[in-house]
Amino acid sequence: MAGSNGKHPSPAEFPPPVDTQKEFIKRELDDEEERIDVGVAIVGGGTAGLATANRLLQRLGNDPELLEQLGEVPVAVVEKAKTCGGHNLSGAVVRPGPLQELFPDLTREDWRKEGFAFGEVHKEAVYLTPTSKLALRIPPPPPFKNHGNEVISVAALARYQQAQAEEAGAYILTETAATQLLVEDGKVRGVRSGDKGRGKDGEPLGNFEPGTDITAKATVLAEGCWGHITGAAIREFDLAKGREPQVWELGVKEVWKVPTALNRLIHTIGPWPLSLSAKYGQIGGTWIYPMKNDKGEDLVSIGFVIDLEYADATTSAHDLLQLFKTHPLVKKILEGGERVAWGAKALPGGGYWSMPKLTMPGALLVGDSAGMVDTVSLKGVHHCIKSGILAGDAIYDTLKAGGTDLSAYETAVEESSIGKELYEVRNTRQPFQKGFIKGAPLVNAMIATKGKFPGGRWAWHRNDEAPMFIGKTAKKYPKPDGKYIFDKLSSVYITGNATRDDAPNHIRVQKRVPREIAETWKWMCPAGVYEIPEEAPETGPVDVIVNYTNCVQCGAITAKGGRLTTPEGGDGPLYQLT
Amino acid sequence: MAGILTFALHYEGEINKNSQGAVSEAAKLSQQLGTDNHVVVVGEGISDEAASSLGKYGATKVFRVEAPEGLSQPVIDSMAHLFEANGYDYALFGGGLLGFEVGAGLAARLNAGVTMEVTQVNVVDGKLQAERPILGDSSISTSKYKDRGIIIGRLNSFEIVESGSGAAEVEDVTVQLSPQASQATMTVRGEQRGADVNIEDADILVAGGRGLGKAEGFDLCTDLAKALGGAVAATRAVVDAGWYPYAAQIGQTGKTVAPKLYLAAGISGAIQHKVGMQASENIVAINKDANAPIFEFSDLGIVGDLNKILPKLTEAVKAKKGG
Repeated sequence: MAGSNGKHPSPAEFPPPVDTQKEFIKRELDDEEERIDVGVAIVGGGTAGLATANRLLQRLGNDPELLEQLGEVPVAVVEKAKTCGGHNLSGAVVRPGPLQELFPDLTREDWRKEGFAFGEVHKEAVYLTPTSKLALRIPPPPPFKNHGNEVISVAALARYQQAQAEEAGAYILTETAATQLLVEDGKVRGVRSGDKGRGKDGEPLGNFEPGTDITAKATVLAEGCWGHITGAAIREFDLAKGREPQVWELGVKEVWKVPTALNRLIHTIGPWPLSLSAKYGQIGGTWIYPMKNDKGEDLVSIGFVIDLEYADATTSAHDLLQLFKTHPLVKKILEGGERVAWGAKALPGGGYWSMPKLTMPGALLVGDSAGMVDTVSLKGVHHCIKSGILAGDAIYDTLKAGGTDLSAYETAVEESSIGKELYEVRNTRQPFQKGFIKGAPLVNAMIATKGKFPGGRWAWHRNDEAPMFIGKTAKKYPKPDGKYIFDKLSSVYITGNATRDDAPNHIRVQKRVPREIAETWKWMCPAGVYEIPEEAPETGPVDVIVNYTNCVQCGAITAKGGRLTTPEGGDGPLYQLT
Repeated sequence: MAGILTFALHYEGEINKNSQGAVSEAAKLSQQLGTDNHVVVVGEGISDEAASSLGKYGATKVFRVEAPEGLSQPVIDSMAHLFEANGYDYALFGGGLLGFEVGAGLAARLNAGVTMEVTQVNVVDGKLQAERPILGDSSISTSKYKDRGIIIGRLNSFEIVESGSGAAEVEDVTVQLSPQASQATMTVRGEQRGADVNIEDADILVAGGRGLGKAEGFDLCTDLAKALGGAVAATRAVVDAGWYPYAAQIGQTGKTVAPKLYLAAGISGAIQHKVGMQASENIVAINKDANAPIFEFSDLGIVGDLNKILPKLTEAVKAKKGG
């Protein structure tokens, strides 16, 4: 196995039991009278999918003739959460341009009134944290300059976009998972929604409802990080040909109500609480952003992001965030406050070279599904919105011309701010795969020269090919007290997660794996899904217990040797403020 | 007269424990409102004894309606009739599926406001306000009523208090049932989710968790429950593992219980479990991990090996009861 040194196993050696093409692509459509026929089907009601809907409906609003042609349901958005935004999480501090472009009549003051934005960034600070006590303020490196940007909540933004889309005539099918891509004659025809009401072993229960084929003239895959159907589409249409593999990061976030307003944006870039040792392979950073709730009370968004390239199996983003909170820099801000939200989400980190081809016959990719994140500056929301705008325009133009070719979108993205910004940082993260100490100078050189020096095309290797060992990171984690430091389960609880207990397992992993792999999953999962039985042998294979009803669908498992598939629609967390 | 009308559910000649709690709650609220505490029972051949027993929980009068048993429509008709006749302001239910159905139907019939899953009711300025946990119990929402209000409790949220002085007056009422009330008949009364023991009504529960080690570990719980005269409950983890049936699951996605004694064997006490049993009067926890969260909300905690402690405890209980 590539990447394995023979001594330590890598997750890639234990691939999940899944046959993507066979299971997630449906090649025979149901009879016409059993299908739901829509104009444009959008899979995923996050910022990118909804921006596509928003833009498309703005265009259709001025074109009653085309709107009429698209039938009873011109635009349908399929969303697996209880409401749009329910599964969305980000930092988030956004560049305002694309959102202003999408809603030109809305001022930034309006954003704040609508409750999804919390103010313009005027002051910011970047710190190095050499130890658990020290914080050294450094001049913000160019990617961290956020002056003029806006702090927002993507969960709240998605709820706003949903309301706008519905008002403009979109059908938002919440609590509906898209489980299969419909492909006929080499062309995407739509998606199939998931069955509901199946028991543990897949048997239909009393309230069983079968899924439905949703056929469309154009399909938009806006599933977010590691789209379940997107993965199948990338393989089916060979969209990743000649590209680098996608790599992932995992973010865990808390929202705190605080006694005193935070007056600046804070980023820390380590090395504490991570290890500097190249053997551990840990690269990560944190954010602390000021927010407000609807009552005008002061909140703080705090989060920890780690590259899933790490090699110490005991690395846990959730516990590292808890550890980070013990730093005096953070304590000063949070103490006397109260945690009001928690969440976790994986994000694509590969950037420009890892972006797949964005179009295929009948469908296109937007936002995180397409990997449009700049993980140097921790920014992707504005790219999500911009890609939605470009997709909405491309689909409108194609339908208007009576054509089917969506490839104009590909060019539009490349020439837009998305293509330009992501190209500039195309080589900035890869050097970190050499470790923090060897990699950091190269990262700096790449940032300073906008990727031209050392230049070339820097390759990624897959996260699941990193050999894992059982290191000492876990020894540093603080003990939960339920007030300031929290365990995973009480965190999952406040997400409002109530996945049906007798639903089928939606997580695919090999259940009998070496201790190193089992420990990797156990520590990595922010929701406590993977458990190692007490009687498991210290060395040798372990039978992992999968508590899939805890799952908050962050997607990290897909990067480290398993596969997250879609659970029953409506299951999972209900994020409000993240 | 204004005031509260509470619905009491009965089964096999006994008033449901959850309804006893609702009547107790209504007694407390009626006293603050300065009104009588009226209760209604609906069914076939309900005994004087069962009906008047509600006096113990503070009912001042019990209306008894002879009507088909176990269905919602006859209860809705009966309560609507009594609202018409006596001009109540509020209806109170202990919860449960029938309570939800009747409450919703009655709200439609009376054009009243309705709040479900209520965990606390307060009197503010001579009016009732209902508190209901929302967003996975992370926040509380308060309902006020413009006019009449229907309040449906979360199961076992209202504490049973024997505040009354003996038997309540029972008055038989004849109600003209609506045509739809006779459209459905009850063919079989199934316990919720197929439980053979109603753990929600048990005074003593012995609950087992992953710490029992294996499915057979539940035998230790069963033995102890039998000796104590209680029932066996389980955590989600062991139900997931297939060690015990879902009907006995306690917690966020299982049942909510409030027994007099809750003995938690090998249960770590994560919040998801805690919300299902935190209202128990006495919580005893046995766990080998002294850091288990359950010890933070137990009245008595024992750190040790279940396989040794449980059999000894069973023996001791048997000896005590036998002697």
